[in-house]
Amino acid sequence: MRGKARGVSTTIRWLLQAATGILLLLLLGVHMVANHFIAEGGIRTYDQVIAYLSHPVIWTWEALFLIIVTFHAMLGVRSVLFDLGPSPETEKKINLGVAIGGIGAIVYGLWLLSQLR
Amino acid sequence: MAEKHVRFRVFRYKQGDPAPHYDTFTVTVNERTTVLEALQAIRRDQDGTLVLRHSCHHASCGTCGMRVNGREVLACVTNVWELDTPVVTVEPLQNAPLVSDLVVDMGPFYQTFTQAHLPLVRESEYLPESQVAEGVPFHMRFESCIECGLCVSACPVVASDPDYLGPATLAAVWRVVQEPRGEDADARIAWVDSEQGCWRCHVAMECSEVCPSNVDPGGSIMALRRELTRRALGIGRS
Amino acid sequence: MSQQMSVSRPFLRRGWRAWFQVRGRHVGYIAFALNRLTGLGLVLYLILHLMVLSLLTRGPNAWDAFVRLAKSPLFLLLDGILLFGILFHGLNGVRVVLVSMGIGVRRHKELFWALMGLAALLLLGGVWGMWHV
Repeated sequence: MRGKARGVSTTIRWLLQAATGILLLLLLGVHMVANHFIAEGGIRTYDQVIAYLSHPVIWTWEALFLIIVTFHAMLGVRSVLFDLGPSPETEKKINLGVAIGGIGAIVYGLWLLSQLR
Repeated sequence: MAEKHVRFRVFRYKQGDPAPHYDTFTVTVNERTTVLEALQAIRRDQDGTLVLRHSCHHASCGTCGMRVNGREVLACVTNVWELDTPVVTVEPLQNAPLVSDLVVDMGPFYQTFTQAHLPLVRESEYLPESQVAEGVPFHMRFESCIECGLCVSACPVVASDPDYLGPATLAAVWRVVQEPRGEDADARIAWVDSEQGCWRCHVAMECSEVCPSNVDPGGSIMALRRELTRRALGIGRS
Repeated sequence: MSQQMSVSRPFLRRGWRAWFQVRGRHVGYIAFALNRLTGLGLVLYLILHLMVLSLLTRGPNAWDAFVRLAKSPLFLLLDGILLFGILFHGLNGVRVVLVSMGIGVRRHKELFWALMGLAALLLLGGVWGMWHV
């Protein structure tokens, strides 16, 4: 039998995916309401975005949302790819790929947020 | 008893064929005819080259597992009349190497399943009506799983990753954890805490839908998850 | 001996297509297939969304032009589909977590339909909100 888990236990990984998923119900819910239902016109203009992100709590909330959603998305992509039954070598490449993709997206997103403060 | 003619569209494949094809046979059935009986009639009266596997004819051995109208069943207890379709499509189980026609190679299934080391006899859940008769010292109750492979055929994850332990093996491991009977339950549960173990299930639960023997493999996989979560978070004992 | 006796493809390793072969399957299998589809769709959306947000670094004109586009009927339709994807994936995910922890294992189908009822309500509310905000 191949692929015995090393490093992060598979249980912990799944629990993290579950926990981030549940957290996202709240994070995404607030994000959607704040940006599309409270916002006048349903989507914020440039000035409204800047004003919105000027509040530290909101900025932090959006940063947290970015990190959690990217984490959940990358673990999800990993899960789909692992379901195709890759070899142990390909599994390592998948792990590296989603890690790079995830960290890259988070770094980019946080940079973008910092530009809009 | 009423009779009717039913067309059976049967999957055919012989080693060396470039691809499988379907042959259609017409069989006269009555209200009690099973799919297995119809297939045996086809083999006896129409095409002696049809290959199929069967044994007990009463859902105890698990040998006659196949897909009827796209769904995994035991052919010996599937009533043709109740299917109520003018054409009955019969195909082999999925997610197993094909040998010929309706017969698959169960070798890979057993290779994985036997690693669970599930003892044959269970100690729990005797039915209330199983009072021993005079002269009978005791009843033995076997494990529910008849190792038919229907659950594995129905599983979308085994379909794309044959290394996934699959519902039958995981259900067997849960039974060992529930009633070790001298087996090393801790080793078994560590074995399923893996990418190929119980965390690979995506809760389609089709395995439990098709199981003919009340094993509830889906429920067993969820029980393994609960047990692993308890151990990981250090909460209570099962 | 197994390899000599049998053919492996396409009966073994049926691949990703098997995830979407839902004919004759029960609701849990269909939920899995849709969860997979919506999950991948949402990843694609996330990538597009992050890319589009870069317009904000090009100043008000670039972003506000996009805002005008985003209010077009086609975009609103796509937003409706997105909302369905979010609600389905999120609420089916709740079912997966609950069932995995032993809640609703025997009645997972009823749980699914209850959560989909909630999803339908939220979707209707969201779509109404989109057209009226």
